[in-house]
Amino acid sequence: MTDQPTPPLPPPLRPNPRDPQEGFEPLEGGSDLPNIINKLLKKPLSIIHKVETEEDGGRIPLRLLFISVVCLAVFGLVVGTFSWEHQIWAAPVKIVSGLLFSGLICLPSLYIFACLGGLDAKFRTIVGVLCGLIALSGLLLVGFAPVVWLFSVSSNSIAFLGFLLLALWFVCAGFGLVLVFRAGRALGMTNTGHLVVWCGVFLLVTLQMTTTLRPIVGTSDKFVNFEEKKFFLAYWSEQLNREWAGEESEQRPFSD
Amino acid sequence: MSILSSPALTIPALCRGERDLLSGWMAGTSRGSLQVCVLFIVVGCGSYGLTIGLRNGWEMAGYVAVKLPAVIFLTLIVNGLLNGMLGLVLGSGIGFRQSLQFLLTGFAIMSLILGALSPVTFFATLNMPPPDAPGSYTWHGLNLLLHTVTIAFAGILAHYRLLGYVREFAPTRRAGTHTFFAWLAGNLFVGAQISWNLRPFFVSPGLKVELLRPRPFDGNFYEAVLRALQNVSPF
Repeated sequence: MTDQPTPPLPPPLRPNPRDPQEGFEPLEGGSDLPNIINKLLKKPLSIIHKVETEEDGGRIPLRLLFISVVCLAVFGLVVGTFSWEHQIWAAPVKIVSGLLFSGLICLPSLYIFACLGGLDAKFRTIVGVLCGLIALSGLLLVGFAPVVWLFSVSSNSIAFLGFLLLALWFVCAGFGLVLVFRAGRALGMTNTGHLVVWCGVFLLVTLQMTTTLRPIVGTSDKFVNFEEKKFFLAYWSEQLNREWAGEESEQRPFSD
Repeated sequence: MSILSSPALTIPALCRGERDLLSGWMAGTSRGSLQVCVLFIVVGCGSYGLTIGLRNGWEMAGYVAVKLPAVIFLTLIVNGLLNGMLGLVLGSGIGFRQSLQFLLTGFAIMSLILGALSPVTFFATLNMPPPDAPGSYTWHGLNLLLHTVTIAFAGILAHYRLLGYVREFAPTRRAGTHTFFAWLAGNLFVGAQISWNLRPFFVSPGLKVELLRPRPFDGNFYEAVLRALQNVSPF
């Protein structure tokens, strides 16, 4: 018998933050576009869960693609306001088509590398993961669109704007690639090392695509220049050198 | 059940290394396993070989698409007897059919990786200037580096997976390891020579596109390496 007071109970344990299944739960609120956008930002794994487990989950990748196209087109429109003229429509077309084509050519390697890492999922789920990556990146790029607009109307430097756009792409793609890793772990991957390689390949392809479809920022006589082949680092170096030599300055239609 | 009816369904199980699939292949209870591996090697290495040769035109692309799988098959044919014997004499208990199945499985995984990466290398090749453009030697070197790194990556990944399978199948881990490295040494030795005989895979600037160089069996890979070392050596 003791008069000692009962010690207070310890606080409940928080869920294991490393639980790979955390967030991989049924999608709440239906499959309509506003809810998909909402869940893409808050609970993206629930979207992947629907694609993998439900019979009608096959429509989700199409909705994610639609979100991707709209978001990237809006972002491209803002990028096009740097140069105006035909870049108003050319920049969105190039950004949308370039990113979707990059995803398409990287899709087979994503599937194989995910399987090598132990993933046990349907092919359409991998398609959903890739579409989720592009859609989430596109959504976040739209969030940065006002920032891009601000710098595009207050700067004449193609190199600066190009650098800003690349930095934003890395940030937004980073969030999308984290989704790929989380989805992989939730779907049974035990070794995500292969996905690291795939992420490097995907980023390299998107960077080269910006040079293949040049110019996206700035003006040119041609819509695209497929005849002159350049590696993206060589092209960026050329542009920097030209700007520093004073050869390149964007003639702004509304500048002072 | 025959897997020939839907080989595509085998791809994820093969990549994941599912034990049921591999046990069935090794025991010979799953019909069509050798044919499926051959199919994966032809399609995967063929599509990747196409992207290697494409820089020098579609004719060269066709040649390498045929020659790359051929290097693998010819190596396994030349070394078939040796690989089976090594498996038995090194205590792994792996006989002739099973050694062929193991090695085809490893090459099939490598081919799946290369085939999956072929759209990316195709895109990279399309972005390279033609061989007669300025800076051709630099681009040739970059092209060689790209494909060497990709093939090495796929090969290391696939053979690391194969090492695990052989160790599990053998009665002891040590016997499995010895058998695997004996196969690897033999196949690398013969494979390098067969690649030499079937050259060119990359057309150096200034040389013409051909299926095989004149007198393909005149000289060997190791003599060429020795001559190259002598050329760069101060002695």
